[in-house]
Amino acid sequence: MKYLSVRRSTWIGMTALFAAAGALAAADNLPKGETILDKYIEATGGKAAYAKLHNEISTGTMEFAAMGLKGKLVAYSAEPDKRVAEFTLQGIGKILDGVNGEVAWASSAIQGPRVKEGDEKAEALLEGQFNAEAHWRDIFKSAETVAVEAVDGKDCYKVVVTSKAGKKMTRWYDKQSNLLLKNIMVSKSPMGELEAVSTFSDYRKEGDILVPHKVVAQVAGRELTMTVEKVEYNAEIPTGKFDLPDDIKALLKKPAQ
Amino acid sequence: MPRRLGLFVLTTVFAGLAAGQSLTPSERQSNIESFETVWKTVLDNHWDPQMGGLDWQAVHDELRPNIEAATTMSQARQIMTSMLDRLHQTHFGVFPGDLYKELDTPDSSGGKGSGGGSRSGNPGIDLRVLEGHAVVTSVEPGSPAASRGVKAGWEIVRVNAREMAPVLAGIREQFSTSTLLDIRLTRSVLSRLQGKSGSTVQLDFLDGRDQAVSLNLERTQPRGRIASLGNFPGDYFWAEWRKVRPDVAYVRFNQFMDPETLTKTVEESVKGCRDCSGFVIDVRGNPGGIGGLAMGVAGWFIDQSGLQLGTEYLRGTTLKFVVFPRPQPFRGPLAVLVDGCSASTAEIFAGGLKDVRRARVFGTRTAGAALPSIVTRLPNGDGFQYAIANYVSQGGKPLEGIGVIPDEEVRLTRHQLLEGQDSVLEAALDWIQKQNK
Repeated sequence: MKYLSVRRSTWIGMTALFAAAGALAAADNLPKGETILDKYIEATGGKAAYAKLHNEISTGTMEFAAMGLKGKLVAYSAEPDKRVAEFTLQGIGKILDGVNGEVAWASSAIQGPRVKEGDEKAEALLEGQFNAEAHWRDIFKSAETVAVEAVDGKDCYKVVVTSKAGKKMTRWYDKQSNLLLKNIMVSKSPMGELEAVSTFSDYRKEGDILVPHKVVAQVAGRELTMTVEKVEYNAEIPTGKFDLPDDIKALLKKPAQ
Repeated sequence: MPRRLGLFVLTTVFAGLAAGQSLTPSERQSNIESFETVWKTVLDNHWDPQMGGLDWQAVHDELRPNIEAATTMSQARQIMTSMLDRLHQTHFGVFPGDLYKELDTPDSSGGKGSGGGSRSGNPGIDLRVLEGHAVVTSVEPGSPAASRGVKAGWEIVRVNAREMAPVLAGIREQFSTSTLLDIRLTRSVLSRLQGKSGSTVQLDFLDGRDQAVSLNLERTQPRGRIASLGNFPGDYFWAEWRKVRPDVAYVRFNQFMDPETLTKTVEESVKGCRDCSGFVIDVRGNPGGIGGLAMGVAGWFIDQSGLQLGTEYLRGTTLKFVVFPRPQPFRGPLAVLVDGCSASTAEIFAGGLKDVRRARVFGTRTAGAALPSIVTRLPNGDGFQYAIANYVSQGGKPLEGIGVIPDEEVRLTRHQLLEGQDSVLEAALDWIQKQNK
């Protein structure tokens, strides 16, 4: 999050101008974004390994440490474009988030059910693509390497990827290992725009795929740590797991107000 | 998204819990670290980087020697509280870590919380300060107070032989211009009624005929069950609904907590009274809770997409409190009851529904304590609540320091309470009836 006063923002803005100029000058010597994304696929298992995967169940934990808030996460996803994530937070209950290729939705005890629309829906549909990274050319229209920057002391290629819907994300890939170490994106929802800065670490193999087992996200000034405990590929996903919940179906039937 | 707490209770209810023992060197060091954590957290998270012109560094430098010299936990807490008081904003406070231990102590039913807590029991009385007098507004059925015949409208003159009149007069003088006056007055008496379950409190009343009645009342476990959220230590939560007239539903809950239970209660009320001529939601005395639940509960009463109750302004981020309509919300007349002890999320809820013209608000001005906050733990084990955002209701005004001004101001009176009347509820019911004519 940008915690800057107006005066400091001005200086940051000036700095950014020079930084951008420097990045342009250096861009000639940088590897192409496409190459970096391909190397990431190879580093995490390779196209052939990804091609063998048809669905996935990931389980893990999540924690807002500063608030003492802990929970569990189970995410089900299946090709080509289905995903349901179930978050269970102490004191809050269950939060569901899903997409089935056509409908993107969310439901929680706090805010109830809702159907995502507009940019938020487009974003969810993009994230719902199974193994999106492995066939990124179907999803992203461009990947541009803009600089070399350090993340946690490791030199990384900074790559700006743009989805076919026009959404930009900035990613940092380790120069040595080719692994993704950091991602910045702005998420849109009816509540507003939120920038999420995520860092990825503790890469370990799950089956034939190298998976980051720790993700730390900074959202709205709070830090969320997610820890992956287990990833099962080509698993037995319960029947009906991707079916729309009844209250979402009811909302879809409701005439627009 | 992290969930915000819009709950104004911690610093007012728990401020009295304090240990007086002298400190070990490591405890002193831990208090110094806690002081620095509090100072830095506010510096880094306050939504206004300028803090309204307050020289936060100077506050630190002035008080740092005091925390180094503090010889008791009570002193250390007072110094940190004094630092936070310079902000002149609600939802900043430090409360004793002992509270967490109390809530981890099993109660008589084997559940979590309250067993050995020094503040966990009460005799079953709710009250408000009306025209300078502490007056019982309701008695919990089955409670010690109910079994001894205490009635709404009785005045509490003394608690454990302490006259309440001068206590209330002092608070009135201190907070005479503050929207927090009612909540301070009420809590000053309520907190004296609380204590360890099984202990007793001596109360001197004036009954309905102004006759003196002295009762030694046992404190028992409050109604409901503990609802906590992360570092927020939690409190007893309950939610209920009933029909106050054959065609009017009445929904009441004491906090915006335990989303699954609260949602279920509201859902049952809407499904059970779908064809009713009106709904009353009573948030009098409700100190708030999870901010998002203001939107969640409102979703049962709003049919139009895109409406928002207000806007939360964090440092560098703005979040709209958008209501997502439920599949089949209640569309008829909606009345919301408030008073000076309705705070935080309760104000966000009532103020937002008033501003979008979905509800008519009855009662008295709310507490004006509506800053989204979170609770964290300090190195010395204490809890630390701090606001992270300003909140502006959809009408364009912040709620902090202003509160929600009802559409119809209706005050409780002792006389009406003695007659078994709730003038605020009755005003709402009359309005609902007129809407259906």
